[in-house]
Amino acid sequence: MTEKFDEVKEVKVDYTRLRVPLGPVHPALKEPISLTVTVRREEILDVVIRLGHVHRGIEALAETRNLIQTLYLVERICGICSHSHTTGFVQALEEIGEIELSDRSLHLRSLIFELERMQSHLFLIGIMAYEIGFDTLFMFTWYEREKILDLFEEITGNRIHHSMNTLGGVRWDLSPSFVEKVNCSLNKIEKSAKYIQEVFQDKTVEKRLCGVGVLDYDEARELCVVGPTARGSGVKVDIRKAYPYAAYSELKDDFSVVLRNTADAQARTQVRILELFESINLIRAILEKLPDGPIYKESVIKLMKKIPEGEATSLVEAPRGELLYFVRTNGKEGLWRLNVRTPTIPNVLGLKPMLIGSEIADIPVTVASIDPCMACANRITVVDQDKRETIVTDLKNLRNRGKKQ
Amino acid sequence: MNTVIILLITFPLVFLLSLLFEGIDRKVHARMQKRIGPPIIQPFYDFVKLFNKERIIPMTASSRIFTTVPIIAAAASILGASIPVASLIAGSNVGGDLIIILYLLTISPIMVMIGGSSSGNPYGAVGFSRKMTMLIAYEVPMLICILSVSVNYTSLAYYDIVLTQVKIGSLLALARPSMAAAAAAFVLCMPAYTETVPFDMSEAKTEIVHGSLVEYGGPYLGLVKLAKSASNFALSFLAVSLFFYTPALLERYFSPELGGAMLLCLVTTLIFMVFTMTVPRTIFARLKIGQAFKFYWLVPLTLSIISVALSILGL
Repeated sequence: MTEKFDEVKEVKVDYTRLRVPLGPVHPALKEPISLTVTVRREEILDVVIRLGHVHRGIEALAETRNLIQTLYLVERICGICSHSHTTGFVQALEEIGEIELSDRSLHLRSLIFELERMQSHLFLIGIMAYEIGFDTLFMFTWYEREKILDLFEEITGNRIHHSMNTLGGVRWDLSPSFVEKVNCSLNKIEKSAKYIQEVFQDKTVEKRLCGVGVLDYDEARELCVVGPTARGSGVKVDIRKAYPYAAYSELKDDFSVVLRNTADAQARTQVRILELFESINLIRAILEKLPDGPIYKESVIKLMKKIPEGEATSLVEAPRGELLYFVRTNGKEGLWRLNVRTPTIPNVLGLKPMLIGSEIADIPVTVASIDPCMACANRITVVDQDKRETIVTDLKNLRNRGKKQ
Repeated sequence: MNTVIILLITFPLVFLLSLLFEGIDRKVHARMQKRIGPPIIQPFYDFVKLFNKERIIPMTASSRIFTTVPIIAAAASILGASIPVASLIAGSNVGGDLIIILYLLTISPIMVMIGGSSSGNPYGAVGFSRKMTMLIAYEVPMLICILSVSVNYTSLAYYDIVLTQVKIGSLLALARPSMAAAAAAFVLCMPAYTETVPFDMSEAKTEIVHGSLVEYGGPYLGLVKLAKSASNFALSFLAVSLFFYTPALLERYFSPELGGAMLLCLVTTLIFMVFTMTVPRTIFARLKIGQAFKFYWLVPLTLSIISVALSILGL
């Protein structure tokens, strides 16, 4: 070690380079992520991505709670795709406990899933518009998004965390009069989605999005990016088609996987806009096919007690892409281990190849175009940089750490 | 004596009008976006609020430049706005005041830029370089437009140009083809000067966190904001009275010294502001710096050069 310090290092400073810290707090980022960007004038030379600013210890917390409590906990992992998280978790539990679901509850699960996808996509389209300085479009898309949130409120009583899923079914039913209401809202949303699609072909919008943040097919395959980010690069991945869950095996013919080959921010936005129409078609098909039957099995507490020790993995297609749940139960109403792999984790890796070589002005657009959800992506592993060791902590440890500091 | 009274009125008048126009601009913008929007006197609330806040000077900033620059910017832009307003009210004719007005109106953004880069924040530096680029992009066609006007009417006095319009009983923009080209180029330069959306990359909120303004807060931010709204008002008023002096159309009813002419001119300024600032802000997305520069040197610069060529030919 001493030899190393004896050498006199010559430090060369390149004054044409400027290191711009982007985040953890930055108006372009809705959630904290740290990007340290090295620029020469406007051109980006290097990017260092760091996660870990909004770690909440949910996985560790889940290990101290029972299964039903955890169901409401995993919903809080993400505010936008809360239904995806509960579906992922509950599916794994149902696989372990070998619980069979009624067709109606599966269809209702898919219905909320698609409404959530539309809500999430409209959210992101608005953010994209905001990032390129098009506030009017931002206001317009979010105005449309309100309609879907209102539907959520009427179906489940909640706008964001709808708590629709429960062990062995869903918690709320659709009345026949309400089916018409959903249809009516869908018509309105379809109309404005068409308008949004037109506006996104506006020239100033195209100038900001075309050729920005290119992630070509091979790189997308290599980094295993998922969801609309992958589909924008022409990679055909969609869990709904590949591993159908909920009611998707019956709805296979009612939607198609939207693919774009230009691999830029425009392509990813286009994929999301077109998926709005696919979702609308799906919801219409679900409402048409909606079978009769009970929506849940029996008392949730009884079901929970029956779940044996075991482990299962479940995959769902969240609005942002593939969402993986690994669940290992302990047979005593609790969990040994819960592991969540959110779609942002693979997608955020795609940022580096997208950003290098582009301009500062493209950073917000590129970051937004993968629809990052940082709070979902920050997981439990603690890396101690001083000791160079990696520990997985539990809640007690976390609490103790909190007390010490 | 009369002049002194006019000057005493003009400064507060410009202060009130520029903040009021900003409020109207924000309200109209909000209504276009299906929002309710802030009350029209929100900029006044903001101004008072900011002046009651703490003065924060970042440790990395060179504090003298950082603190004096907002004052110079606000003073320059209010003065720049007062000269055309006062000379219109008083009917005074000073040779060469057009150059002084343009000088003062350029000083204010330059000062804000310098303040931003003196803050030691990298975003301030990026904002500086972007604003500098934009300044070169729009300032050149703008000055050539004024040059074209002065070549045409062999005068650099602001009031002379206004009187010319009254004399011919028409707007300058409609008087000759050269002037139409100059007016078009000048109007196209407006959004870049006022830093509204298609050309607001120097303080792009989502990209570089308001660029030069990033470290400003409290009274300094209040002054910088005042400088911005005053210079926006000044430039719109200048553009309207130079190229679109609407009282000239009604010269039978208004003599230029009257309050009625002034009022009509202000209303035109407001409409002009809505069309050059609020509407582009609502319907466009932000361009990139390269795209904006290209646009300015392709369209307005060409237009202004055509205008000068036509003026020399006497058209």
